[in-house]
Amino acid sequence: MHSYYSFVTGPLAWIAFIVFICGSIWRFNSLWQLTKKKDSAVFEYMDRKFALRSIAHWLIPFGSRSMQLNPAMTVATFLFHICLFITPIFVFGHVMLWKENFNISWFALPNMAADVMTFIVIGSCIFFLWRRIKLPHVKYLTTPLDFIILMIVAAPFMTGFWAYHQFPGFVSMTIIHIVSGEIMLMAIPFTKLFHMFLFPFTRGYIGSEFGGVRMAKDW
Amino acid sequence: MNRFINSVMNMNISGITLTAIILTLTFAITTHADDCFTVNGETIDANSNTRPFVCFQHDAHNEKAGLESCDRCHHSYDDQGKLIEGESSEDKSCSECHAGNVGSQKSFDSNRLNIDLAAKYHKLCRDCHITEKKGPVVCGECHKR
Repeated sequence: MHSYYSFVTGPLAWIAFIVFICGSIWRFNSLWQLTKKKDSAVFEYMDRKFALRSIAHWLIPFGSRSMQLNPAMTVATFLFHICLFITPIFVFGHVMLWKENFNISWFALPNMAADVMTFIVIGSCIFFLWRRIKLPHVKYLTTPLDFIILMIVAAPFMTGFWAYHQFPGFVSMTIIHIVSGEIMLMAIPFTKLFHMFLFPFTRGYIGSEFGGVRMAKDW
Repeated sequence: MNRFINSVMNMNISGITLTAIILTLTFAITTHADDCFTVNGETIDANSNTRPFVCFQHDAHNEKAGLESCDRCHHSYDDQGKLIEGESSEDKSCSECHAGNVGSQKSFDSNRLNIDLAAKYHKLCRDCHITEKKGPVVCGECHKR
């Protein structure tokens, strides 16, 4: 157990950070080069005003017509994304680890809040899973990889909840929790999780094209 | 619930027996608590994000770990920050050196939670447990519910 713990909190953690950062730079660069080669018109049409206008509308809950037509999805997706980011950064156990390893610290969430936010993330993942299985227009676009990505995202939260509440086998579960977080980090550059970095560019381009060429709203 | 109360009543426990049970339980709990050492408990108040209290049984731990010298944990450093081999510091409390800067941590200030100190003793315990390949390392192994 001790050697597993040392490995996952030592070398594997560094590998995960490096793969995440370098992989993201590589992915971004390769997409940039591909756009330059295959679709350089993107750079011509990109317009800061139209891009920011579109991004702002899509970042505001119910700021687009699509969000108004799908209220359940809108609520789920906003709560999901907020909790997905806030919980791991501000949960007290993680704040403590930053303090121990890098001597930096910040605000920590009350335990109860972290629990509720964890539930929101897991619940939203179940909702997204249901959509992918049940709704024909979502099912049509779903590949097996989408289910794997959902699992990759939900796993750190399920294992973290298990470890925190010390359900049976929580010692091994803590190690699985660490590994699952590292898998998620490493998956970001190579899967559609990369939309966390691409979102401003894809949305910005659509906004630019709709605003500058079609003279229409894209929200 | 009523059935449970009735069955307890039917046991016909006399006042003396009940007092004896309560006294035994109280004694058991307090003697257990006496074995627990807190690390500078005065700097840490329980708040909404602290973990459960850790019962560190000093003598039992040292016996189990085969520790003979106190300075393995109660270390001592000179003015240059160099470890003084063989000199122990069990006459001091951890916070005399590792109090950290409670005032600088605004978000923790209201709760007086000194995470500088907590980080220090977490590392002291865990690093040794990893080196020795025995003893608790993950959060819940010490902070038992």
